[in-house]
Parts: sequence; structure tokens; C-alpha cells
Amino acid sequence: MTRALNQRVSEFRARVLVRSWEYRQRHHARGVWFRLRRVLAEASAAFVVSAEDAAALAAEGYRLEPVGQALEPQKWILFVPAERVARMASARPIPVRLSRELLEAQHLVLTPFDA
Amino acid sequence: MPFRDRLLATIRAARPVLEEPEVLVVGSEVPNLLQPEAASTLVVSQDLDIGVPVNRHASVKGRLAEMMPSLTPSPEEPSVWTPRSPDLLEVNFVGIDRSRDPTDAYVLEDDQLPLLVFGALSLVAAGAEIELAGTRVRLPRPAGLLLEKLVTDRAGGKGDRDLLVALGLLMTAGAADLDELDTLYGTLRSELRHVVRSNLAVLSLLEPTSGMPDPRPQRATVASLLRRLEQVEEGTR
Repeated sequence: MTRALNQRVSEFRARVLVRSWEYRQRHHARGVWFRLRRVLAEASAAFVVSAEDAAALAAEGYRLEPVGQALEPQKWILFVPAERVARMASARPIPVRLSRELLEAQHLVLTPFDA
Repeated sequence: MPFRDRLLATIRAARPVLEEPEVLVVGSEVPNLLQPEAASTLVVSQDLDIGVPVNRHASVKGRLAEMMPSLTPSPEEPSVWTPRSPDLLEVNFVGIDRSRDPTDAYVLEDDQLPLLVFGALSLVAAGAEIELAGTRVRLPRPAGLLLEKLVTDRAGGKGDRDLLVALGLLMTAGAADLDELDTLYGTLRSELRHVVRSNLAVLSLLEPTSGMPDPRPQRATVASLLRRLEQVEEGTR
């Protein structure tokens, strides 16, 4: 009668084992997904921009998020105020989520939430 | 029948069990019941989760027959009681064992009321009692339940829904609840603290789900909680 419950416990324990394995890899390659989500969590909006615009932002002193360099191919990810993004002709808004669009973007600009 | 009416009718039907000492409503209905006058506009869920401390198992079993007019145990899974009327929700019994690690789970075997006991529910403590549908309903303290939702392993769509329940709790939480969350979070071991932050990051990127709180307008709140918990990590809060 409790076979279904015992099956759920087995599945639960298997997932906990996998989770522990993932935790031990948090500073290695697999941990990149947490770090990427963590960066995106701080973004109120996301934009794909051209390489030229991204280079201009970097030259202005906006910092590249290290997680972008941990992806392959590498991705430029920069936090930039919304008013600066508004002046960029190439900026194309995309939803803030782990979508194909976002993962394919080579140059990604994020705007922070208002303080 | 409006969802709130179904929820209240289910609470009335489960009254003999809900009024047993230490029994708590846990799960997705809690954000609904924490709203002013239990408005029940946050989460549409088809079941009412009742948390039974394992030391209260025998006394709860003794009250089950009183629910029989309205609910009946599922033959396949007797921890689930199905409604005899479409105006009620399912009732799902889960076990609470405060001696267990949050990553543990086991089955409390019983012919009449077996329980799946989730160690993460050991984080949940009894909170406010409210009077609803002529029934004294004991709710969990929001901080503990929020942490339980964020620390429990999640899989697939069910996992997403559980994270959106956590969002509902966050939306109803006050400053004192968040202070309590900081303290509870600090008691977890490193791996579980990481799971909490990881689940919050997942929550911040979720798409809307029908009948659940829309995560998109709450993303700044989620980011703020992430920063807050990181301050706990760094010892600056």
C-alpha cells in the first residue's frame, strides 16, 4: 500500500545525491549555471547589443561580469544604467530568463533594479 | 464554486484533524490563508496539505473517521483523501519529524494513514492560529515554511510550482519574518544555504504559471532577499 510513497522517497534520495554532487562542483565548470542565474537575478531587463556598442561600454569603464568569460563561447555581460542603454541604437530587449535568445547572445547588457 | 469557498469547505471537512494539537496546514494553501481574511487569491491548488507531527500520528488517526462524510482515503495512496464532492479539495497528509535532517525523507508505514515524512518540514514551527469556517487552523511561521520551500529538492513543473508558493510566502512576509528567516538560514549547513540561494536564483527567472503568483513583478524582491542572505553568509548582517 505504501509502495508509491517508498518510490517517492527513493526518487527524493536520488535527487538529494545529485544535488550534493552539484554542490561540490559549484566552484567548477558546472557551477557556472548558478553563477549565471545569480547575475541575471540582479537584472531588471536584458538587451542584446552589437560588439561595437559592447566595446564602447567597456571603454567607458563598465565591468565585464566574470561569469560570461566562463561560458564557451565567451559572452560579454555588462550591467549598465537604463538611461545609457536608451542611447544605444543596437540594443534589442529580450526576456530575462535562460532562453535560447539569451544563451546565443554574444554581447549582453543588463540593467540593474532601482536601488 | 469560487476557489476560496472550496478551500474553506475543505477546512471545515477536515476540522476533526486540523484541531488536533500540533497539526499544521503546510504547503501551497498557506500563502492564501496568510492573506487578509484568507483571501485565497495567490495560489490555485487542488489540495490542502496537512502536516502531522509523527508523535501525533496516533491521535490524528483516531479522528480520521470523522472526515468520512466528506472525504475518503485514496485506495492507491491512503495519505491522500479525496473529496466526495467537487466543492472540496483533496487533503494530503505529510509527516513532520523534528529529529530529522532537512535532506532526509522516509515513509511512516501504517495501514490506515501512511505518511511521507519530509525532513525539511523540521524547519517549520507552529505560528498563528486563525478561525476559519468554524475551525481553528494552525498555520506555520512564514519564515520556516519559506525556508522549507527553498531547501527542499525540486523536480520539474512541481518544483516550479513549489518555488512560486515560496514567492507567495515572500509576498505576505513582514520584516520580522525576514529577520527570522536570516536566523534560520544561518543555522543551515553550507550545502543547504547554497540550495536556498540557488532556488531563489531559479525563482527569479521563472515564467508565469496559471493560478500562481506572477514572479516577474516580484523579481526585485527576490534579488533583495538573495543579497540579504549573502550578507548573512559574509557575516555583515
